[in-house]
Amino acid sequence: MDLGKKIADFLDVRLGVREILEQNLTKYLLPRNINSWYTLGAVLLTLFTVQFASGILLLVYYDPSTDEAFRSVQRIMNEVPFGWLIRTVHAVGANIIVLALLMHMLSVLFMGSYKSPRELTWVAGFLLLLVSLGMCLTGYLLPWSQLSFWATTVATKSSEEIPLIGDLAVRILRGGAMVGQPTLGRFFALHVMGFPLVFGLLALFHLFCVRRVGISRPPFGPEWQPAAPPTTFRHEEHPGGIPFFPHYVAKDAAVIAFFLALLLGVVFFAPGLFFPPAAFEPADPFVTPPGIKPEWYFLWAYQTLKILPSEFLGLAVQGAAVTLLLFLPFLDRSPERRPARRPLFVTFFLLGVALFLALSVWGHYS
Amino acid sequence: MDVSSRRKFLIISLGAVGASLAGVAAYPLFRYLSPQPTGGEKGRVTIPRAQVGAGQAHFFQFRGHPAVLLERTPGVFAAFSAICTHLGCIIRWLPEKGEFLCPCHAGRFASDGKVLAGPPPRPLQVIPVAVAGDNLLVG
Repeated sequence: MDLGKKIADFLDVRLGVREILEQNLTKYLLPRNINSWYTLGAVLLTLFTVQFASGILLLVYYDPSTDEAFRSVQRIMNEVPFGWLIRTVHAVGANIIVLALLMHMLSVLFMGSYKSPRELTWVAGFLLLLVSLGMCLTGYLLPWSQLSFWATTVATKSSEEIPLIGDLAVRILRGGAMVGQPTLGRFFALHVMGFPLVFGLLALFHLFCVRRVGISRPPFGPEWQPAAPPTTFRHEEHPGGIPFFPHYVAKDAAVIAFFLALLLGVVFFAPGLFFPPAAFEPADPFVTPPGIKPEWYFLWAYQTLKILPSEFLGLAVQGAAVTLLLFLPFLDRSPERRPARRPLFVTFFLLGVALFLALSVWGHYS
Repeated sequence: MDVSSRRKFLIISLGAVGASLAGVAAYPLFRYLSPQPTGGEKGRVTIPRAQVGAGQAHFFQFRGHPAVLLERTPGVFAAFSAICTHLGCIIRWLPEKGEFLCPCHAGRFASDGKVLAGPPPRPLQVIPVAVAGDNLLVG
């Protein structure tokens, strides 16, 4: 008897692991018409694992003080063996994650998978997107470059327009009147502990919801019919479906490989793609560099603030858009999920994507 | 080729690919976490003679580790690693007794580094010292 079987038998007698594995892998059946968009959850899990691992490694050499932060990042990039690799993977990885998060959200919207009984899965997923953007925003300040400093100055200043508590909000975010050591301290704490902790709990809840409710069936094909919202709990089964392992795991692995190739492709062949020149100068609170802009995924918000007549109106529009998306499953209650039968929704969906792209391109070139 | 041998072939191939990828990822990780050379790890340390008073001990960093220098008798200097040979605590100089004490487990060393009492298994590591005018060259 080989060692592997002995270990498996030992665990099986005590914990029934074979049953758990069967239930969650080979006997866990997915809809036969499942498509590649459903792999984005596994892609995100992998990318976040890479992000957490590279982040922990960066903590080994990073020094979160205004005197040393920039120098410590320069040291990671130029002196520590393979430091450039770890740091570039972390910085580029954040961008690839936002791309995958947006694709995941758009596919769920398009296929109406957020609808009853998956409202909680959607809310947890959307909050995960917001927490991820929070991690991006707080991580941006940590290298303490001109780009970090001024992007954070602009981003925190926009909170000033919140009625009644605007000034207080800015001071609390910054830990003072201007961006400085208190800001770096709190952004560092949020980036490495606060947000990851909330993220972990939300991700567990999100995965629990996915597994407990069951995978939604893609709303395509002649046999798909809308079902009335359930009044009692029911796990959605897919009898006659394809097993999660090995069939869908192979597809997951292929799409994960594609995203990792994209990540490493940028890291090795276009490492400067997300680093404008201001990222290579240490922060100087007395000199604002020209043309400071946020990362591409915040450009839509940046441009909204620029084109609307007041910053308050810009913030209100952004807040309304985020709130609408967060509570969408409670507003859009029709059981119909087939895109061809939801012309109004699909029109708004396409207009929304077009508006996001247009504002982002406009923001980039303005 | 039957199903079981094909499956075995696939498992071995995937295992080999996985092991190669793990190796490719492990090398940068190992290099990243390996201690960086801090410079001066082989060099000598120069200490002005005036810093070492008669009967007093002077603690300093030698090649990345704590060390101690003392003038045992006028004009005769000795240097030791300040790390206790028992469990690695840093020794203290007791000028009134003219000996070293390890505060962790009461190991005692004479001014020549030899063990007087307690659990240390070996004498303190001796570091060569040379007098060069007004300076002492350690190492």
